[in-house]
Amino acid sequence: MIWLVASALLFSIGAYGALTRRTAILVFLSIELMLNAAALSLISFSKLTGSLDAQVVVLFIIAIAAAEVAVGLGLIVAIFRRRETTSVDELRQLRG
Amino acid sequence: MQETLLLPLIIALPLLGFVILGLFGKRIGEPTAGWLASLLVLGSFLLGLFVLLQGGGKWTLSEWLPGIPFSLNLDNLSGVMLMVVAGVGFLIHVWAIGYMHGDPGYSRFFSYFNLFIAAMLVLILGDSLPVVFIGWEGVGLASYLLIGFWYQERVNADSARKAFIVNRIGDLGFLLAMGLLWSMFGTLSISELVEKVEAGGYSFTTLTLAGFFLLIGAIGKSAQVPLMVWLPDAMAGPTPVSALIHAATMVTAGVYLLVRHAFMLHDDAFLSGLIVAIGLLTAFYGALCSLGQWDIKRIVAYTTLSQLGFMFVAVGVGAYWVAIFHIVTHAFFKALMFMASGSVIHALGGEQDVRKMGGMRKYLPATHLHGLIATFASGGLVPLAGFWSKDAILAYSFEYGPWLWFLMLVASVLAALYSIRWYVVVFWGDYRGKEHPHESPPVMLWPNHILSVGALGVGFIGLPYVIDYKNFIEPFLTKAIGDFPHEKLPVLTEWVLILTSAVVAIAALAWGFRFFQQKMPAWYERFQAAALQGFYADALYNTLLVNPAKGLAELLFGGDRGLLAGFAGLGNLMGGLGSLLARLETGSLRFYLAGLLVALVLLVGWGVMR
Amino acid sequence: MSVGFWEILALLLLAGSAIAVVRLQNAVHAAIALIANFLVVAGVYVALEARFVAMVQIIVYAGAIVVLFLFVIMLLSAANANVGQDLMPRLPWVAGLGALGLAGVLIFAVTRFQPPTGPPSLGGGLPQALGPLLYDPEKWLYALLAVGFLLLVATVAAVVLVEPERIIAATGHSAHPRRDGQPNPPLAEQKDEKAVVKR
Repeated sequence: MIWLVASALLFSIGAYGALTRRTAILVFLSIELMLNAAALSLISFSKLTGSLDAQVVVLFIIAIAAAEVAVGLGLIVAIFRRRETTSVDELRQLRG
Repeated sequence: MQETLLLPLIIALPLLGFVILGLFGKRIGEPTAGWLASLLVLGSFLLGLFVLLQGGGKWTLSEWLPGIPFSLNLDNLSGVMLMVVAGVGFLIHVWAIGYMHGDPGYSRFFSYFNLFIAAMLVLILGDSLPVVFIGWEGVGLASYLLIGFWYQERVNADSARKAFIVNRIGDLGFLLAMGLLWSMFGTLSISELVEKVEAGGYSFTTLTLAGFFLLIGAIGKSAQVPLMVWLPDAMAGPTPVSALIHAATMVTAGVYLLVRHAFMLHDDAFLSGLIVAIGLLTAFYGALCSLGQWDIKRIVAYTTLSQLGFMFVAVGVGAYWVAIFHIVTHAFFKALMFMASGSVIHALGGEQDVRKMGGMRKYLPATHLHGLIATFASGGLVPLAGFWSKDAILAYSFEYGPWLWFLMLVASVLAALYSIRWYVVVFWGDYRGKEHPHESPPVMLWPNHILSVGALGVGFIGLPYVIDYKNFIEPFLTKAIGDFPHEKLPVLTEWVLILTSAVVAIAALAWGFRFFQQKMPAWYERFQAAALQGFYADALYNTLLVNPAKGLAELLFGGDRGLLAGFAGLGNLMGGLGSLLARLETGSLRFYLAGLLVALVLLVGWGVMR
Repeated sequence: MSVGFWEILALLLLAGSAIAVVRLQNAVHAAIALIANFLVVAGVYVALEARFVAMVQIIVYAGAIVVLFLFVIMLLSAANANVGQDLMPRLPWVAGLGALGLAGVLIFAVTRFQPPTGPPSLGGGLPQALGPLLYDPEKWLYALLAVGFLLLVATVAAVVLVEPERIIAATGHSAHPRRDGQPNPPLAEQKDEKAVVKR
């Protein structure tokens, strides 16, 4: 049970980081933290309910996180090449 | 009568041409497209001839619609019509190869033309009324497409719409007749209807009503009074269209329909009388209007009206085979007349005003000959085609009543006059235009040569019984129409009638030939002014029908506008709300993320509290 | 589950390293704090009978993924966390309050979870236990295949994103075709003129 609480704490701290960090890489880092918190909660549930399926899901989370990081960092590099910045506040084209 | 797959094939050939030319026409190009279309129609003609010589055939696809088979029937009546449609159609196709030369819509034209032939063949061969109706609508569509062929000009598009809308009234009549017949007899197959009507056991009044509705359909398609206004305007289409659709074939579909339903008409004095009245009115109206026109094609169009009136009279007096006989002869001489006109138009680079023509006999000797033959055939000179069929109509009219004979004789005098007027203003006198006329190419002359032979000789298939020569067409057609016996006129009376009409025709032609070369007297000018407007039929219809309908439409449109304003207000309201929401879309990544997290807190909180 | 010394220690380590990740001003330091956090989480996994997942966590997450982060940080010389202009200077306070609220809601939610009594054994979360599940067509096999394909696509996508010129050179096609079907201009011309250059 305590690990569920730990997971909630990690998730909230990650959310705080994602909001306050201003470079894309660090926002991304905070998001990894949140993802990890979710995985932790799954492992805790696995222990509490005795189901191995949750552990399999965590394996998938890790694999997908790897794919996500590859694409995400690729995007950051591509943006950096064109805009010479990694600041998320300067990337404001994402609006109608 | 055996089942034969050749019947659908007859229809499929031109339909195939329509599809091929419609899809790949641009790539096939000129003149291959025209020759392809012509040969397919020739194929239909030869197949039809083959089946006809074998004694006819039928083809049925049972359960096409619930309870209604898709049945085709080639008997002697539809066979004769098929010969006319495909045969004359082929000649006009070939002629159009020359006439449409260089038109940007060349292949489109032939694809529509083939569509028309296919639809017309469906109309003719259809044995079940819904099948006939498909053809009926198909020819209407093809007519619409071809009248508006040069649709870039508003006048042409308007004429096409007018033809379509006026025809719609007739189509409504056809539909009502079908519904009524279905409710009475439970079948729509013509061959079964014949038996059921003979068997009796139905309300005669209801049958009269069904016949009346059919008559309305025929009136619309054959441009009889009072639905005649579309035909003169239909001349906006290219000349081959006028020749094929609006003279030789489609407009005779109404007559054909009535002849097909002769079994419903011949006992019905009311309907017969109505048909006679309508035909008589149309014969006079068309003849008088034609005398006042200046546009060469409108002259011929009104003569067509007049001749269609003759056919209606023939149907009305019970001379069904004569009506078909007149369709055949008329197809030859009227197509010839139209195509001679077309050759003149072609020679003058598109000029249609007869006031800028004249003297064409010096410039276009071959076309002049064609025009002369067409004039004599149409004017009823012995022994050309038009004389024999018109004379048969006159003879039957005399049986119906001598007064009708007299009126028809006057109408045929008018027919002689308008024919000779057309001939004189175009071919005689001095040339009044500026273009340098040139004779048509062989591809346009040869079809006219063949039609000339037809206009000269086709009347000999239906000579009156007093002349000692086999009347070929009467027994041939009555086999299919049904034999409605009538008393033959005494030999002496018959001879007197023949001689009268022959002499009158010659006199009218001779007088007209002199009269139309002079300067017109004042009374004729006044008459002409009224005739030019078609005796104000259009204006009358506009006042009585079109403008009130337009007023109603305006009124309803006003109501719509109010409703639309309400909807527009609603739209603006939603737009305002939307722009408020759009402010949330700042483009800032972190703002979006904050929104995401707020939503997460709310959702999880809601889930927990629940 | 009793809360003993090790649990308290792990909790403190987790919270401390996480706060370090989100507050340290040097991105390299933050990434290293993230590695520490992942290692502690891996330890927790072992305690929770998920040993195989713990190993994967160390190897893939702490080993590969964060190293990739470090690599990019150094490649772009983006170690400084305070780049550009702060357009929302008061956001940290709001975010802090929000995070507290989020933590409150989440903790409230998880404490209401009632675990079933006497759960069966997990077999220690060893590969012998996980493998049959992972490769069972009625369980996770197709998901596994899909994830494998996803990884492949992601790899290709990363290459395409980062090296468009090389794609053009190798294939003759642009990696980012334009709407109007014209070939892309050279990258130098593509550069957005309004782009702000602030380092």
